[in-house]
Amino acid sequence: MLTTEENDLLTQTGPETSMGQYFRRFWQPVLLSEELPETDGDPVRVSVLSEELVAFRDTEGKVGLVERECPHRGADLFFGRNEECGLRCVYHGWKFDIGGKAVDLPNVPPGVRHHETVRLKAYPTREFGEIVWAYLGPQENGIPELPHMEFGFVAPGGRYVTKQLMECNWAQVMEGDLDTSHFSFLHMPAPSVPSNENLDAPADERRLKWIRNDPMPKFQILEHDVGFVVGGARATDEADETYWRMTQYTFPANGTGPSTMPGETYFGFTVVPVTDVACWMYCYAWNPERDLGNAEREKLSTTGHGIIAETDENYIPLRNRGNDYEIDRNVQRTQTFTGIKGLAEQDIMIQQSQGLIADRTRENLTATDAAVVKFRRTVMEGARRLAEDGEEPEAPRRHDAYKTRPGSWFASEGTPFEDVLLERFGHNRGLVL
Amino acid sequence: MLTAEENAILTETDADTPMGEYFRRYWQPIALSEELPEPDSDPLRVTVMGEELVAFRDTNGRVGLMDKRCPHRGADLFFGRNEECGLRCVYHGWKFDVDGNAVDLPNVPPGVRHHQTMRIKTYPTREYGDVVWAYMGPTMPELPEVPRLEFGLVHASRRYVMKQFVECNWAQAMEGDLDTSHFSFLHMPAPNVETTENRDANSPNRHLEWMRRDGRPKFDLLGHEVGFVAGGARVTDHEGELYWRMTQFMLPSHGTGPATVPGETYYGFTLFPVEDTSCWMYCYAWNPERDLQQAELDKFKIGHGIIAEIDSEYMPVRNKSNDYGIDRSVQRRETYTGVKGTAEQDIMIQQSQGFVADRTQETLTATDAAIVRFRRLLIESARELFESGLEPEPPYLHEAYRTRPGALVTSSDKELDEVLFERFGNARGLVS
Repeated sequence: MLTTEENDLLTQTGPETSMGQYFRRFWQPVLLSEELPETDGDPVRVSVLSEELVAFRDTEGKVGLVERECPHRGADLFFGRNEECGLRCVYHGWKFDIGGKAVDLPNVPPGVRHHETVRLKAYPTREFGEIVWAYLGPQENGIPELPHMEFGFVAPGGRYVTKQLMECNWAQVMEGDLDTSHFSFLHMPAPSVPSNENLDAPADERRLKWIRNDPMPKFQILEHDVGFVVGGARATDEADETYWRMTQYTFPANGTGPSTMPGETYFGFTVVPVTDVACWMYCYAWNPERDLGNAEREKLSTTGHGIIAETDENYIPLRNRGNDYEIDRNVQRTQTFTGIKGLAEQDIMIQQSQGLIADRTRENLTATDAAVVKFRRTVMEGARRLAEDGEEPEAPRRHDAYKTRPGSWFASEGTPFEDVLLERFGHNRGLVL
Repeated sequence: MLTAEENAILTETDADTPMGEYFRRYWQPIALSEELPEPDSDPLRVTVMGEELVAFRDTNGRVGLMDKRCPHRGADLFFGRNEECGLRCVYHGWKFDVDGNAVDLPNVPPGVRHHQTMRIKTYPTREYGDVVWAYMGPTMPELPEVPRLEFGLVHASRRYVMKQFVECNWAQAMEGDLDTSHFSFLHMPAPNVETTENRDANSPNRHLEWMRRDGRPKFDLLGHEVGFVAGGARVTDHEGELYWRMTQFMLPSHGTGPATVPGETYYGFTLFPVEDTSCWMYCYAWNPERDLQQAELDKFKIGHGIIAEIDSEYMPVRNKSNDYGIDRSVQRRETYTGVKGTAEQDIMIQQSQGFVADRTQETLTATDAAIVRFRRLLIESARELFESGLEPEPPYLHEAYRTRPGALVTSSDKELDEVLFERFGNARGLVS
């Protein structure tokens, strides 16, 4: 349970807020590269951390991310002309390059100071893993490197990257992922169904059975340089064997899917606040050992799979709040726990059902919420230290520490979590060396 | 005219407001029984006076009405599983019965206190007259009983019950009913039309003509234990004879249709606030003497009298979003409004006053007497409760809600209580 003040601290990410300032120390995904498909292509509206911006790919292929209001009289540059290495306002022709420099002010007489002083706010961008990232923070001490998440390093054939809109605050999306105990309910068949099979889940029937049978996994948490790893251990059919599901949380809003066994495809995501009541979830599937097969890619890009929802051409989930996620009460009675199609959609439904911003002053947490509590405490502490003590977070400078993996493993009963990680990943925090 | 403060008292019904607390002393209709058709059927979203709730009918047929937020982490129980005598959250399986007891907390280790202490807020419910009622007030030594409105006491074949969504504050919907003088205008033909016939209205042509001719009925009001009766008298074709239309107001938000002559079907309704800017109007037609006829039922399906034509979600087909289907050429040549349906004309004009009518900007006249009485009664009662802790009595006088409204043509020298006695056998229209 949080106080109202703590809940505000956790959930508000506008420019003047503590969490907003904290987020701005980290690179944020702002678009998929495919949304800016070609040089001088159409400008795209971007809202991130409650700032309204416009992105464009200039004549040289570089991506600009600038404020939307032209500094002349506030016209919206989204309607501007993207041409000859700059975005030109269609009101009076003011033109800016991706760095925000005014390169043409055709209605300003020569010699007027405007030519030297007018600037448009612009943020640095990079492309990595088919995503356009932006840095919205202060630059006095230089700009950190992009977090070296593993999906960005595999060959394009070995990954699939997409995004989906979430109609709620960022933190409850993050919490939904960290609480892996909900799998025993939300993603399960209806109680009357004997089979545990679930074609949408990235886990086989046997593992699903253990998840279903043990709704109280024992949680352990180990910190690392840029976040923490959470392990949930469940009983299996063998008395001396434990089924571990391990997920990574990295600052400020990166999560993973805990189901992957060695050789299988990994899943991760980054949550980016649009405003305080909506966020983008950038999702990536990657396989460090092989290309994704056609069947796998087809599933991910059409019907959705695992954490990836079925979306329309604007990346809006087809089953969303507006249509009650197409809940089918007959299916809920006779086939699945929710009556909603798709694992991702079940997550989206339940997270959004907590409200646009979940009210954490009214909750009753239990043992399986350990990672939720840890997440809140950690991220709020980071934001407070920055806001109150001016202490800059270290994680943005530890880009190499972001190369982590999540996954599943079987270990003999009593194996310490650290050793389970070592067995599964060759490293006691799941870092890829 | 009200002050801004009085207008706020009258119109705001969230918890912890004077009117909100006052309303919560009364049973409120919160769903039609048909919306929860069978045991373990689909849960239903219900918003009452700003509270977001979920209703469900459990395995034993009992109706639960509870906070929609699961106390664990606030997930919406609307998406829950209604099974084996309880509603189960689909996030982590927490399950609650209709009384709010946590009957299963499958992810909470045995021995943890949650198993004993965890509850969800619920409200008592009853079914009466094909309507589900809820009591959202403070726990009393003895709960009041559901008001004995007559429609609920007749055989099911003698009544028709429905609801319709009204996109404005509850009080102006109530006021629209109490001011019966508007009938002389709003529901009339266009001025150049000779006949007054109106198949949507519950009055014979003769009565309609009197209403059309006399736009200034004389109003008289008589208080009773649970509200008041308002009588409006209009001149007829005969000197020495008046046409009386009498309507009942019962606290906090029950109204009636005043047109019924003996033997005909009666109309009544109950409003309850969804939020301050919308309300449900539960409408009922009943005939204490005979089954409703097929012709009547057919008319109700397409709207008649206070009953609007609605879609499957109980939303009036002609509503704010389509300007009530107003047809300006019909308005020029056929009807006063160009809007089809008596109920829709009422809905249009009431909603046109704004989401919450601004009563600091009005100019009342003599025919608004019942409106003034209504406001004073409600504001005073709400204040007495809120400021002095004086609990209202009407919730405990459930038998006094068995009243009838209606019309009568009688000699012009009678006072309203005599007219009531002649029409109903009781000087306030009470059915004994």
